[in-house]
Amino acid sequence: MTATIASERTKAPLIPPSTHRYADVIHRLEAGGSMLPDTPENLRQIIGIYKAYAVPMDFYWRDLLYIAERVFLNPLPAFKYFISQQYLDRPNSYAGEQSQLRIWRGTEKAHPELLEFMERGESGRMPKLLHHLWHDRVNMEFAEACMQAMFWHQGMGGRFNDYLVGDAYRANADRAIKAYFKGNPLMLGLYALFPEMFLEQVRQLSYYANLGLFWEVMAPVFFEMSDIYDEGGFKGVPDAMDFLVNGIFAVAGRPIYHHLYIGEECYEIIPKSEGFTWLYEAALPYVEAVFYRTSPFRGTKSYNAQAGQVPADQADFHYGILYADVYPVGSAGIPPTLLMQDMLHFLPPYLREIYQQHRRGEEDELVQLGITFQRSMYNVTSAVIQALRCALLYPLDDTDPEHLMANRRFFEAQMDRFLRPEARLSDIQTQDYR
Amino acid sequence: MATILDTAASAGVFNTLLAAVDAAGLRSALEGPGPFTVFAPVDEAFAALPPGTVQTLVDNPPQLARILKYHVLAGLHQRADLIQQPQWDSLEGAPIPIRRADPFEIKNASVVTADVLCDNGVVHVIDRVILPG
Repeated sequence: MTATIASERTKAPLIPPSTHRYADVIHRLEAGGSMLPDTPENLRQIIGIYKAYAVPMDFYWRDLLYIAERVFLNPLPAFKYFISQQYLDRPNSYAGEQSQLRIWRGTEKAHPELLEFMERGESGRMPKLLHHLWHDRVNMEFAEACMQAMFWHQGMGGRFNDYLVGDAYRANADRAIKAYFKGNPLMLGLYALFPEMFLEQVRQLSYYANLGLFWEVMAPVFFEMSDIYDEGGFKGVPDAMDFLVNGIFAVAGRPIYHHLYIGEECYEIIPKSEGFTWLYEAALPYVEAVFYRTSPFRGTKSYNAQAGQVPADQADFHYGILYADVYPVGSAGIPPTLLMQDMLHFLPPYLREIYQQHRRGEEDELVQLGITFQRSMYNVTSAVIQALRCALLYPLDDTDPEHLMANRRFFEAQMDRFLRPEARLSDIQTQDYR
Repeated sequence: MATILDTAASAGVFNTLLAAVDAAGLRSALEGPGPFTVFAPVDEAFAALPPGTVQTLVDNPPQLARILKYHVLAGLHQRADLIQQPQWDSLEGAPIPIRRADPFEIKNASVVTADVLCDNGVVHVIDRVILPG
């Protein structure tokens, strides 16, 4: 492992070239690059969209934790998106003066652009309830769709899911449920009748906490990348990828936990002492569930599971952003459409300029930014692949051919996932895919 | 002979590892009778991790303990024993693959010095911090 993979980039090849269909991409990864080609426009696009993504993400993580820790099993959670001031002001652990590991130089509280949007929305200043009903707000439904993808797929590495079906979790959840419904004989009676149903809801809430803690890290990472780019700090796409790789390592050991607060009292449903980490129990399952798998709603096509159009094996699901036919429609593709709409509000001016100059300009801005998002997530996935290679395999400048072949087999196995026709890896190799 | 931790302390190249063992609260366990097999990364191995990695772990003892336990096997296993199996279950739970017998490599680390016998086990000195997965 090295502090940055920039220093490991190889010079003379010690092993024969790959014959994989994506050999060019594999050779680029072996040279310390990203799946996304290193062009100035790609760099501009991905940094711009990271910033536009980070602003709503600053709301997502706060509200996910608010729901997991405070709303909890409220049977009528109509106001779960009406985050409390306490959670809006909750200091981000990786931004601001108070943070032990400061990733973003900015404030620990909610991002100013987010606060401004929450105040005015698209339609101007009006009561919060009207903004909500008019859907002129941050679309938490997207965040919940990501959480549900993680919850539904499960079994993607890490030990989180095993813990959720164990006796210790059951006992902790039971204690929390009984405390939450104390003095509510109706809900306690329902719990006595249908304990598994309540337990399953708590498991889902644990995934709310998991994703909230994951995104609490990613928002300041993306904000900082935007600031570095604005200062002229990144020379190319690999620099941006390296920043992500180093970030992944820096926070890999962050605890993943689920606490419930009733008043000031804390109930540890998943204690920090279980040793669950950001990398193994959140980041890797997130990438697998959300970037690769998700659920069969591509947005432009309906699937018939009975006719075998949906894989029987969940591991074969391929409906994530890396395979998406980016097309914003208000029906089957609702969750991705909602994210695009969220990002649209926070695009930096240079990204708007790019979109104005291509295709149908403002008319298809959502499609163009969706494809930018796809490019940017290929770069994030590249960072994850390189981080895994760093952690589990060998340096890129290793001089042992056997080690280099082990790296090669790893990269080729990763690229095998993009051999299916829906993958967009080929498309992002050129700039005219917009 | 000395214990595993005494041996490591006198070697002078495991300062980060020993500090991590203390931070994770594993000292008393590793001073027990064992026996244990410890894959001990040298200071340079920890220094090669990206900035912040070790600090985040030191700030969170249970998470640090998990990573450290991945470097320990139950029982005393010398090199000749270890190379007989493709992998060994660590105290963390995840297996440690034995990648090569000669030169001796476990997971993605090279064993710099093998078979340092101690009162309560054996130490194999490695050049990288190994991670589960």
